[in-house]
Amino acid sequence: MVSILIASHGKFASGLKSSVEILTGMGDRLTTIDAYLDKHDYTKDIKDFIATAQRPAIIFTDLLGGSVNQQVVLAAAHQKDIYIVTQMNLAIILAVLLDSEPFSVSHLDELIAQSQVTRVKLSKQTPDEDVQDFFR
Amino acid sequence: MIAQLRVDDRLIHGQVALVWTKELNTPGIIVANDNAASNDMVQMTLKMATPTGKKLLIRSVDDAIRVFNNPKAKTMRIFALTNNVTDALKIAQAVPDIDGINVANVGRFAEDAKNAHQLSSTIMLTDVELASLKELAALDVPVFNQVVPSNAKTPITSLLKNVDN
Repeated sequence: MVSILIASHGKFASGLKSSVEILTGMGDRLTTIDAYLDKHDYTKDIKDFIATAQRPAIIFTDLLGGSVNQQVVLAAAHQKDIYIVTQMNLAIILAVLLDSEPFSVSHLDELIAQSQVTRVKLSKQTPDEDVQDFFR
Repeated sequence: MIAQLRVDDRLIHGQVALVWTKELNTPGIIVANDNAASNDMVQMTLKMATPTGKKLLIRSVDDAIRVFNNPKAKTMRIFALTNNVTDALKIAQAVPDIDGINVANVGRFAEDAKNAHQLSSTIMLTDVELASLKELAALDVPVFNQVVPSNAKTPITSLLKNVDN
């Protein structure tokens, strides 16, 4: 089972955890850091996660180039079996959490590719499936 | 066979699409709902919510019953959805092969919610729905409440004790 830390500026991380809990009841699988809400030194929390989390571990951050991501990279970049994913969204957290395949970097990249923000395209052409296709 | 018949006022949504189809290992999803069967917009949103690789049928309740009783349905694990208890009862009375009925989320967005009978934080029933649920609970099939798989299955009979008879 992959260990997961999600870190953000403000309450995005704990907000994602709240959404994950409603959708799956698996919120307790996530460690979160809501940075900059007060003067608390959150880099310590990153180091604590790195020191204690089972491997493999994934650290999700909110924004490439943001200071939270920078701090995570500084602390975790050279750690074995810790992977950093940035520009996180709810879809990728759910995809990783609900995934049943053994962990690999290439599979993680697949999940990331399937979890991108997407413009919703409405098409009137939604042909009705027929029962024959359904049971095929 | 129906691996689970779920009553959920949102039909296919995050919990169902992502979590339950995995948990139940059901390649096929059938939405039994008269409104969805006749509304293109609703069908579009349901298709959007269906996970890649899963098959979806959207049918009126009567048509869905015919599909469930199709001989080919015997060999396929099907996840069935209605958005109210009365439709679920109709299916349960007409389809012999149902593993379990999960009354998950129902009635919370109904217009006359203040007159509703509250069985749990996710089940609010009108008089008609409550009567249907009592009939459903009397059938020879497990009826329970389990919003997400990590919740325990609560038997409906124990939740029915929360409302006056």
